[in-house]
Amino acid sequence: MLWIKNGIVVDPKNKINAEKMDIFVKNGKIVAESDVKKEDCKIIDASGKLVVAGGVDMHAHIAGSKINTGRTMRPEEMRVVRNIAGKFRATLGRVLLTAPAIGYEYAKMGYTTSFEAAQPPIGALHTHEELDSIPMIDKGALPVFGNWHLVFKCIEEKNLEKLKALVAWAIERTKGFGVKVVNPGGVEAWMYGGNVKSLDDQVPGFNVTPREIITWLIRANEELGLPHSVHLHCNNLGVPGNYQTTIESIKLANGFRNPKRQVLHVTHVQFNAYAGSSWRDAASGAAEIAKVVNSMDNVTIDMGAAIFGHATAMTGDAPFQFSLHKLIGARWSNKDTEVETGAGIVPIGYLPSNPVHSLQWAIGLELGLLVDSNKVVLTTDYPNGGPFTEYPYVMAMLMSKKMREGELKKVHQYVQKTTTLPSIDTEKTLYEVIHMTRSLPAKVLGLENKGHLGVGADADIAIYNLNPLETDFSNEFEKVYKSFKTAEYTIKGGEIITKNGELVKEVFGKTFWVDARKKVDLEVIMPDIKEYFNYYSVQLGNYGVEERWLKNPSRLEVV
Amino acid sequence: MQDIICTFCGSVCDDGEYDLEKRKVKKFCKLGSSKFAEKERIKAPMIDGKEVSYEEAIEKAVEILVNAKKPLLYGWASTANEAIRVGVILAEKLGGVYDQCASVCHAPGTLAMIEEGLPGATLGSVKNRADVVIFWGSNPMEAHPRHGTRYSISAKGLLVKDRKQRKIIVVDVRPTKTAKIADMFVQIKPGYDYAIISALRAIISGNADVVPNEVGGVPKEKLVELAEIMKKAKYGAIFYGLGVTQSRGRDRNIENAIKLVQLLNRTTRWVIWPMRGHYNVVGAGEVPAWEVGYQYAIDFSRGYARFSPAEFSAVEVLLRKDCDAALIVASDPVAHFPKMAVKHLKQIPVIQIDPFPNMTTLIAKVVIPSAVYGIEAEGTVYRMDCVPLRVKKILETNYWTDEKILEEILKRVEKLRG
Amino acid sequence: MLIIKPKKEFEVCIEAELTPELAMKSVEEVRKFKVYYGNRVVELGELFEVVKEGEDKKLVLDGDFGRVKWIGTRMIDGEIVVKGNVGANCGAFMRGGRIVVEGNADDWLGIEMAGGEIIVKGNARNLVGCAYYGNAVGMTGGKIVIEGNAGNYIGEKMNGGEIVIKGNAGDFVGTEMRAGVIEIHGSCGFVGGDMRGGEIRIKGNFDLLPTFRKTEKGWVGDVNVKGEGVIKTF
Repeated sequence: MLWIKNGIVVDPKNKINAEKMDIFVKNGKIVAESDVKKEDCKIIDASGKLVVAGGVDMHAHIAGSKINTGRTMRPEEMRVVRNIAGKFRATLGRVLLTAPAIGYEYAKMGYTTSFEAAQPPIGALHTHEELDSIPMIDKGALPVFGNWHLVFKCIEEKNLEKLKALVAWAIERTKGFGVKVVNPGGVEAWMYGGNVKSLDDQVPGFNVTPREIITWLIRANEELGLPHSVHLHCNNLGVPGNYQTTIESIKLANGFRNPKRQVLHVTHVQFNAYAGSSWRDAASGAAEIAKVVNSMDNVTIDMGAAIFGHATAMTGDAPFQFSLHKLIGARWSNKDTEVETGAGIVPIGYLPSNPVHSLQWAIGLELGLLVDSNKVVLTTDYPNGGPFTEYPYVMAMLMSKKMREGELKKVHQYVQKTTTLPSIDTEKTLYEVIHMTRSLPAKVLGLENKGHLGVGADADIAIYNLNPLETDFSNEFEKVYKSFKTAEYTIKGGEIITKNGELVKEVFGKTFWVDARKKVDLEVIMPDIKEYFNYYSVQLGNYGVEERWLKNPSRLEVV
Repeated sequence: MQDIICTFCGSVCDDGEYDLEKRKVKKFCKLGSSKFAEKERIKAPMIDGKEVSYEEAIEKAVEILVNAKKPLLYGWASTANEAIRVGVILAEKLGGVYDQCASVCHAPGTLAMIEEGLPGATLGSVKNRADVVIFWGSNPMEAHPRHGTRYSISAKGLLVKDRKQRKIIVVDVRPTKTAKIADMFVQIKPGYDYAIISALRAIISGNADVVPNEVGGVPKEKLVELAEIMKKAKYGAIFYGLGVTQSRGRDRNIENAIKLVQLLNRTTRWVIWPMRGHYNVVGAGEVPAWEVGYQYAIDFSRGYARFSPAEFSAVEVLLRKDCDAALIVASDPVAHFPKMAVKHLKQIPVIQIDPFPNMTTLIAKVVIPSAVYGIEAEGTVYRMDCVPLRVKKILETNYWTDEKILEEILKRVEKLRG
Repeated sequence: MLIIKPKKEFEVCIEAELTPELAMKSVEEVRKFKVYYGNRVVELGELFEVVKEGEDKKLVLDGDFGRVKWIGTRMIDGEIVVKGNVGANCGAFMRGGRIVVEGNADDWLGIEMAGGEIIVKGNARNLVGCAYYGNAVGMTGGKIVIEGNAGNYIGEKMNGGEIVIKGNAGDFVGTEMRAGVIEIHGSCGFVGGDMRGGEIRIKGNFDLLPTFRKTEKGWVGDVNVKGEGVIKTF
């Protein structure tokens, strides 16, 4: 039992805005004061300190074949030593990290949940092996659907029941959490050396368009009532002028409604918010996108902010990765995957002296500032935009115009004319930023017991050495940044796991997965699946992950 | 039992059928079937040739490993990921060296990937799409007997329906069994792969005029013909083997081939992939990569992983006499390593964990027999293209699994080391 | 000047980042210098005899240092003389000063050397003056002279400096080179693959790649990277 005393709590889900409050923990959950025996409690004196829920990273690339290929390709990334083996594991990594490093670094920062953003279905077991090797955090994975032949078939036949059954079957087989869509249709086009350029391009070999893929999957997802919405990486990522594709894609949510959450989450929008016609006249389309997102009440986004320094571009958007390789001449890995999907990896970096990188940096921040705080989640699309360990940099920047002014002096002046960042006066409040890093991502994912400190929530808590009532967030940005980099205490499931950046205890979290099989009749799709498995390279009987192979599975049943 | 997964070569065929009455496996090739047939086993744990209990053997192993200044933990390619993970953590805890079989076969591919990346695909992509398949320094008809029927030669795919719709090319130093069934065979002078690949790159990028009349024993016209086929392919695949990784050029051969594939992807689609030998050599590299950052030749003396194949590949470690104890898991270095390396192995205490006796058993001080994954134990393995498969437990056994043995060792080491 | 002598035959290799800076310290301090003996951190004095003679910034490694790695790492000035063989990674990331190896050198000599001089009287092995795993640039300055033979991978990704090999070398001399000079007095194998600039001079035989144009300057290429490197005989 834990008694966190006199902390200053910010808990947006429960509308608590910097109130001095005690938090009680029992059996890994947050409980009411009446449920604990105070004499038996371990007391943490949080006087004058900020107490919030553990951070929730709803989009990061932390486990699976493409992450491991990234590590293998980049020994120069792995040569940074973070922890020497002793009571805890040795950990290595600069921006790319080993699995133990991922767990420890999230924990030190006060983050307690992270979701792998793109899981190739046939590689699901590999994703889960890596997730199981990440200590400290709770996790989940999102299998990709946007280029799966079986999905195309259901849509061609205009058969929603089949599509629903397929989605339920696939999420169970991959022990996944939701429906991820990456460059719908484009990765299949890449198998022929091409890509799709608009929502109405026909996918080669199939009578479907990206528009249909997205819309039908939203329909299936909503009728199934999955906890999370369709999670979309738009077409034309990385292409100047793509902000229009993004806006068109966002508008596909029109007509759908869900009382609990958004019906469409568009991810790492920074990479999809470029105006202009080439890299020579590229500019920001963030303001236009923000306007559209703010006008809708059923769409959320995450930033995908770029951080100056090293990074690695790794996504399921295989054609984009190849164009990036051609553009910057960097090393390139690719993995066409069965009839399901693809992936690509290219080492990159962001330099403040580079006009394009500066533009990307500015756009990420624009999105965080211009979009309503209940619609934009803070991410860097780790490791594409940069390290997740720099979320505190983004947090501090969102809350301080002065900090932004200082940074703007150090970057390429190209951003002055091509983005609105220099003129944005908005300083988000701490309440908003905590919402963007805790309660909102939990809500977007559909995780009811995460991202807040109400009774019944998982006891994932972060205590920071920062007094919100006495801190001038506009001016004390250095202090704000430092405080959020290293939590004074990180508590996971009621156990103290880090203190002042030092590891205290190693725990292993849960892997959430969604079981929606009761909502469908699997027989509707099994004949198609069996037929299609002629074109797989494994037997249907050997496809998928059994729950007992996972270390700590947590099944969320959809009824 | 259906859907049995083979644990011999990197093809990891998963369509086997096991007849529990006859105790035989059906559908697998000769190599796979031999794995499932009854074989001589190490009967019991031994110390200095005397039978002991598992606990006693483990205690002795722990004593040897903890007292060593630089223990070498080698093998790993023929066991499951669950065991490999414990082995990596053990090497980290001991401050020793972790190396795996790839260091004597396909490590050059990893080095090439570090230089250029790896433009690849899963075997299912090749089966469905590849209209041109090149086997370079690889002879699947002998080393991966069912690879062709399942994935690359006569496999029935979605877009490429059968053998007739595929063009098979073999590039090798002599006419192999695979060359005999190929549509085109390019015989090259041993040691000239690198030069030939450079020539192909030049021809394809419009610099054919610089290329002399003959490169590596291949006439220019033949190279031009090959280049044309490659350019016209809709989706091509190069599968390469030990013919290029273990001959002159090694990692630079693969790196050059990758650059060729990068070039081809500008106008059409090509992929390249290694024909891995052991059924879980990929796991032996992937598991340490996510646990500690690298795939092989890893030293933990300083309490964290350092990667240096020139120093920490098992053969290099042994040649420099840079280890004073060895734990060999699911491997036979005495049979395969160069004489000078084996000489040092014979002079240090060796612990062996393996189901089957081999040459290394003869020199091991401590021998710990284990269960066979895929027959007596369940576990996760990665096929040559990194597709994960869960091998099954078909028969009961009293043998401990590699995972259990290593966990017991790790537990005791952690107790001693703190 | 410090004279350092192995006390015994080592059971495993030693990693000792000894540089001439050490000669500026007292003998007691030098004896306490930490080195790695496998996974044990030990004091230099436990494994080596240390004698100080005068104040020169010089180390004399007297004996077989063939299994002692990382000698001269990051050194900026002064001198190291190895009266015998030297282990791997000798002169790694060197910026100045001089290393003389009277015996043979092991792999990875002069990793990403930026300045100074390394002279090996015997042979070197593989990876002379190269970029470390995954790094983009190799040697940028300084001079490496091998009196005997060398192995494979010489001056890869070189961007400055000079390598002279008086005997033979193996394959992959000057791969992906951008600037600098490599001179091989004997014969070698594959030369200048994907070279963009710089010069390679060879006296003996070598395997010319099919991607070089013959000009008056010599062979120019590698055409696969639109390179303007020059390979010439002398």
